[in-house]
Amino acid sequence: MTPFLTVFIITLLFLSGVYVAAVMERWSVTGTVNWAGPMRSFLLLFAQEEIKTRKHDKVFFETAPVLFIGVILLTISILPFGRDSVIIDLGTGALFINAALVYIMVSLLMVGWAVNGVYAMVGGWRALAQLIAYSMPVVMALTATVMRAESMFLTDIVESQQGLWNILYQPVGFILFYISTLAITFLPPFNLPVAKGELAGGVWADLTGARKLLFRLGRLTLVFTISAAVVVLYLGGWMGPWLPDFAWTFLKTLLVAASFFAICRFMPRIRHDHLLEYNWKYGVPLALYNIFQVGVVLLL
Amino acid sequence: MISLQLILLIIFGLVAIWFGWRVFMTSSMVRSALSLLASMVAIGILFLVMEAEFLGVLQIMMMGTEMSIMAIFMMMYMMDPGGLGQMDMYHQKNISIAAGVIVTVLIVGAALTTDWGTIATQFPGPHEQNRLLGMEILKRSMMIFETAGVTILTGMIASIAVALSIKNSVEK
Repeated sequence: MTPFLTVFIITLLFLSGVYVAAVMERWSVTGTVNWAGPMRSFLLLFAQEEIKTRKHDKVFFETAPVLFIGVILLTISILPFGRDSVIIDLGTGALFINAALVYIMVSLLMVGWAVNGVYAMVGGWRALAQLIAYSMPVVMALTATVMRAESMFLTDIVESQQGLWNILYQPVGFILFYISTLAITFLPPFNLPVAKGELAGGVWADLTGARKLLFRLGRLTLVFTISAAVVVLYLGGWMGPWLPDFAWTFLKTLLVAASFFAICRFMPRIRHDHLLEYNWKYGVPLALYNIFQVGVVLLL
Repeated sequence: MISLQLILLIIFGLVAIWFGWRVFMTSSMVRSALSLLASMVAIGILFLVMEAEFLGVLQIMMMGTEMSIMAIFMMMYMMDPGGLGQMDMYHQKNISIAAGVIVTVLIVGAALTTDWGTIATQFPGPHEQNRLLGMEILKRSMMIFETAGVTILTGMIASIAVALSIKNSVEK
């Protein structure tokens, strides 16, 4: 495929995927499937008046939403959707995913602090604690997939799963990556930074209009991007019979995103201290064990 | 010869210096920490411009986490509620200006007088760079990296231990 066509197809699939994710997000809250719902929310936020809080930090307030969505778009550009359908095949692709995720934390902290409101500020610091904690297992699980592929090119990581997908080769790593990325997207069991029930909306409490739209859209894009990353790293990427390669990536990504939202619907929110405790006491040691296990299997 | 690479190098170098300056010119710890982050990201971009891909991405990734951790630790130690308090980011102004000037002169002097050799025109691709870097870290430089790692870990544990308010068992 020509590069232009590649970008076009990826963009189209991505937009439809994000829309489906938006429908699923709504389902995870209300329990009903409403295909027009996300469009209505979009128009509402698009036309809503932008309220600025008193004495907000202008620079952070304006930069954070753009940074949030910008890093997610950068991550999309390095994910391979097919054998040749990758916009930038980066020599450090696996590391880049984590580098981008870190700036989600930074943008949440920035906006939480910038609005000069107490709920947002608490939400911002919570986001910091949560995302620092959970980016550790993410990077360690990534390391184990890189060890198997002996390369940080994401295309090589997919190729390395030719015989056996990583979900079976390193199940511990998969479970850690899956749960930690769910925490990084701050979806319901882990939605402490933006929890409506206990923090009145947290980081997003004082945002309206376009800024909130950017964050909501960014989070949906993030969920879809993360699902694509799970597919590339653990579920064999584009591999599958009959259908063209990008279709397989797309279908698997939708399935992973659906599983994320199913967890959102049926899991209660975890307490903040428990959330951090589980990760530092069990998640990080397990991630180290996973690296060890993969290393032993590779050397045998 | 002025190439695009050189222009980008100059621009991001200046950006790094500007944000480094902003670190001390603000009265808020959050702004200060995030300015330092911006400065470090600019240095990461310098690596990327010089086609050291791994170092660039690593710098950008590590500094994002490190500066955020630094921000939260700064606030905890200074008892600054939520980072909303105001405080100066420098102290002992005259001594620090003098130290800054002397160090700048020394660094610029070292940079200008060092023989940097000829500029490399051939260099390995990103994949090969990763491999070579891994070999370097696990062979010749292993001792240095391990020492640095253990020192940092000790520092972290010590600082947390110092900050904890452990009740003295002698007290009755």
